[in-house]
Amino acid sequence: MALSPRWQSLIRLLGVQASWTYERMSGIGLAHAAAPLLRDLFRDHSPERRRAAVARSAEYFNSHPYLAGVAVGAVVKAEHEGVPSVTISRLRTALSGPLGALGDQLIWAGEVPALMGLSLASVPLLGWWTVPVLLMIHNVLRIRLTMWGLDLGLREGLKVGAALEHSWLPKVAGTAQRLAAFAVGFGAIVAAGWLLEGRSRASSMSVAGISLAGVLLLLSASTRTRVTGIRFGLVLIGLSLLVIGGLQ
Amino acid sequence: MTIVLAAALLLWGTFVAVDLVTVPQGMFSRPLVSATVAGAIAGNVTAGLLAGVVLELYALEVMPIGASRYPDWGPAAMAAGATAALVPGAGRIGVAGLVALPLAMVGGWSMLLHRRQTARSITSRLERVAAGDARVIWQLQREGLLRDTLRGVVLSTLGIAMILAAGLVPWTAIEHLELLDVAVLGGGLSAALGGAIRSAGSGARRRWLAIGAAAGTVVVLWP
Repeated sequence: MALSPRWQSLIRLLGVQASWTYERMSGIGLAHAAAPLLRDLFRDHSPERRRAAVARSAEYFNSHPYLAGVAVGAVVKAEHEGVPSVTISRLRTALSGPLGALGDQLIWAGEVPALMGLSLASVPLLGWWTVPVLLMIHNVLRIRLTMWGLDLGLREGLKVGAALEHSWLPKVAGTAQRLAAFAVGFGAIVAAGWLLEGRSRASSMSVAGISLAGVLLLLSASTRTRVTGIRFGLVLIGLSLLVIGGLQ
Repeated sequence: MTIVLAAALLLWGTFVAVDLVTVPQGMFSRPLVSATVAGAIAGNVTAGLLAGVVLELYALEVMPIGASRYPDWGPAAMAAGATAALVPGAGRIGVAGLVALPLAMVGGWSMLLHRRQTARSITSRLERVAAGDARVIWQLQREGLLRDTLRGVVLSTLGIAMILAAGLVPWTAIEHLELLDVAVLGGGLSAALGGAIRSAGSGARRRWLAIGAAAGTVVVLWP
């Protein structure tokens, strides 16, 4: 049984960043996701028109990967309606910023850290069951968001910018970020407490002291550009190995 | 380590490497997931979970936002989770950091190489892309996937080599090994909280972060 063009496009949207580069960003992936819909819509037209539409789809485009479907749908509808190519290029440019910023706020600064923070907090209670639960929640939300975005784009076409602005997305993005801030603060402390269970008071106090020093280094204006968590961790590992070696 | 176990870990490490950016971006590459599953594959899910929790603290500092540079935690956490499960006496938190932090940095660097090669592939077919040849678009996507898979295989092989190397260390003969645990956990907590404070800005989100941290402290200290 052959999949409908919409489903083919949805599946391809899962790999929209497979050819991600600094020059075109997700442009090639966007064209790949749009191709089944364009093929279907331009069945009765000349192949040249479809090729021109695919070529336009492959130009520079940047957005959050989960929201790229909004642009795919809007561009495909605009191509089908015979909108001039200059207007379609403008639509892509106009969508790049908002889809990137909204997606980053909603997903990278919202849903993902919120889910990870809550998962860290629930590990002491649920144990390894936390992992399938978090994966299920994230992937259901992700697929639903991608489907919603593609359908919104296909329905609204050139008017997708306004539809996006008046949708639930901007409001939920703000809430998700606040939830993420709470969850990371809560989850990090609960997880650290769990990992320190049964250890000496000196170990707990050492972890607290190192964390305080690390946070100050990560935030201080003079060190924050050079100090990252992973670099700080590597330096601590090196120092601890030196001390352990010296104590043998 | 048996060949079947090594093959299963190689497969899982490669899958999570590809998941980070290429497909399906389903958060399988998060250290909490990658290390726990690796622990389960290696026969000790709890050891993998412990490694995953501490590495997740590090990973919360930087999110994989498009053009930014970030470590690749997937194969690194696979190696850490499996080491925690397979190497007795190593101290699960400390060995997780020892194995995963350098490998995650190498993974981040390999992502840059992968992207540069993808750019070269596109440049070499620019005329056909500009002509709207759907077949060349598909080829570029397929090559991107294959290249990222190869990147995952290399990183996972390095990870398996690190597991084997960790197995050669006489951990039980080393005194004061808890210092390594303290260093790795202290670094992770710094990364999670420092990153959260930095990204929270100065408004409501910082207040929510403070409320969360205070609530977490109450839960931990509750008798």
